[in-house]
Amino acid sequence: MSNQSGSIYGLTILSPIREDSDSEIPHNVAIRAYLAALPRDQRSPFAHVSSTHMARLAVLDDVAYSGIPAFGEYLATQYLVFEANFDGDLGVYLARMAQKTPRFVDSLWKHCVGYPGVADVRAFVDYMRKCQVESTFYFADVNDKTVDQTLCALQTQRSVSAFILENQGKRGVELQKAFVGFLRSLGHTAPAKLGAAVERF
Amino acid sequence: MSKLNAADIQGFVLRGYTFPVARFLFLEVSQENGQEFVGRLVGQIATGDLWHKKPQSTVNIAFTYKGLVNLKLPTQPLLSFPVEFVQGMKERAWVLCDKGRNSAQYWDPMWNEEQVHAWLAVYAESAQELEKRCLELQELMQVTRGAAVIGSQDAGMLKIDEHYCAKEHFGYSDGFGNPDYLGVERKTQPGQGKLGRGGNWAPLATGELLLGYLDEAGELPAAPVPSLLAKNGTFMVYRKLHQNVATFRKYLEVQGRRYPGGREKLAAKFIGRWRDGTPVELSPDHSDQALVRDPGRSTNFTYGNDLTGQRCPIGAHVRRMNPRDALGFNGALVNRRRITRRGLPYGVFTPEHAQAKDEDEHGIIFMALNASIRRQFEFVCQQWIEFGNDARQGSEKDILVGNHEGGGTFMVQGTEDPSNPPFLCGHLPNFVLLRGGDYFFVPSITALKMIGTGTVDPY
Repeated sequence: MSNQSGSIYGLTILSPIREDSDSEIPHNVAIRAYLAALPRDQRSPFAHVSSTHMARLAVLDDVAYSGIPAFGEYLATQYLVFEANFDGDLGVYLARMAQKTPRFVDSLWKHCVGYPGVADVRAFVDYMRKCQVESTFYFADVNDKTVDQTLCALQTQRSVSAFILENQGKRGVELQKAFVGFLRSLGHTAPAKLGAAVERF
Repeated sequence: MSKLNAADIQGFVLRGYTFPVARFLFLEVSQENGQEFVGRLVGQIATGDLWHKKPQSTVNIAFTYKGLVNLKLPTQPLLSFPVEFVQGMKERAWVLCDKGRNSAQYWDPMWNEEQVHAWLAVYAESAQELEKRCLELQELMQVTRGAAVIGSQDAGMLKIDEHYCAKEHFGYSDGFGNPDYLGVERKTQPGQGKLGRGGNWAPLATGELLLGYLDEAGELPAAPVPSLLAKNGTFMVYRKLHQNVATFRKYLEVQGRRYPGGREKLAAKFIGRWRDGTPVELSPDHSDQALVRDPGRSTNFTYGNDLTGQRCPIGAHVRRMNPRDALGFNGALVNRRRITRRGLPYGVFTPEHAQAKDEDEHGIIFMALNASIRRQFEFVCQQWIEFGNDARQGSEKDILVGNHEGGGTFMVQGTEDPSNPPFLCGHLPNFVLLRGGDYFFVPSITALKMIGTGTVDPY
């Protein structure tokens, strides 16, 4: 299945943006303003959905056909594009988004046609599934390791480097003793597992 | 392809001159009279024509984007230059990782206080000839009122034990790895071009060096219009790299005492060549002058049988800068990232037994030529110097020129042989600091004549 590469899920969602002449500012403008102010560091809402490898949000105004001969081809509506690579099951991921970042989800998708809100998580997941299109490409750096495994590996790499720097050159028993202690400490510093299990949708 | 028209290409582009001394004059070009200065200078520019007799000195010239503006290139050609060249090196700091002590605030004042429009390079056989030629050029500037010198940089081969040699301040022999290109006549040897399917070496496509020719993708590199302005020209990166000799020697001494292979072997592992130039890949346990002097072997090696770095560490400087076949695909991923170096040291060599100080004038004027600064030099800098992912070295940077900022590690892969064990170097200081530089366009002789006469036809 092209949405799944090993344990990694590649999600692409296109949600049609509302066209509402009564609104104070156009919905696409409101989405853009919200996205522009969204933190991209550890304060990003996706920090609360810790199985996320990468996520991208953008407004798609239209598509341009650049072949030869060129011809006009236009979308019927504007779309909110949401792309993400994450670990595991789609339903679990979307439910976690709704439950962990409800204000964020609401602030964006309330501008989209047919958005049911996040109070009813199942309805939200169903809505997002309806907007889903097949993903055929993944973020280049994604391999078949989960976020947890990746963080663990990086932390282990750093810890091993520090251990080697401190202990290289030591002999036999002394080195073994230090290594046993190091292994024990590694177990304590592994990244916390994802939160409590979320109901599957 | 047929032979290039070497008479239309600046000689500096096609080959290193091997003159012992050089001076790089940085010019502000006058809007009013700049064209006249260039026009009258063209006849002096050294071309790629082979010399029947080596001259006493040579002159070459290149321009920043601001220089071309002052030389009144029409708007259309100006707008057609690649964006990284238009922006200049200072604005590309985010790509090059020129931050911390490498950021522009620490550069030589000229790069911040003045507008560098042109790089005028004088190479000479002796200090006297250098002075003489520079005075002549100054006179031309004054007579035409077309340019003024706002700064200069002397450079030259290091003199060690009263002899000029191809070493740099850390004690390594330099200048082995420049690529061969189709159509460029030069003394060549296996290992300097690209790897062919049968393991043989072939010249790179001319368009990796010169504008107006097909590159390794079979395309014409992006170039300014009109094509006559671009053809036979190239882009140059100029970076003044200060070398912290005391820091390097102390670090090597301390780590070398801990490394079971000893100091010199560790020095060789850092770079991928022993200090006398012996490739570590071919001779991992000792230097070998016979190998260095043999053009059939000194650059003729690959890493395909050493993917774990047991002979030459995966992160060694020369392996990062030219991974040859180490990234797979028979080297194809490397062929679009090659640069031609024309660097020269500056300052006076401090002998190994003498006390060196970091603040002493030691360094290298790094000059790289390439058809695309963004695709070639900037990629190498961003991905292979300041990052380690392609070399499977995580976030490790190049040990020699990486901007370590006091952190970082360098892994020496090893074997079970007690004299070649794995070894980790940590707390890497900056051995090299950036002191300034910019991006330059090196026009052909034809283009210089067009610029000098104000006849660059925008269409």
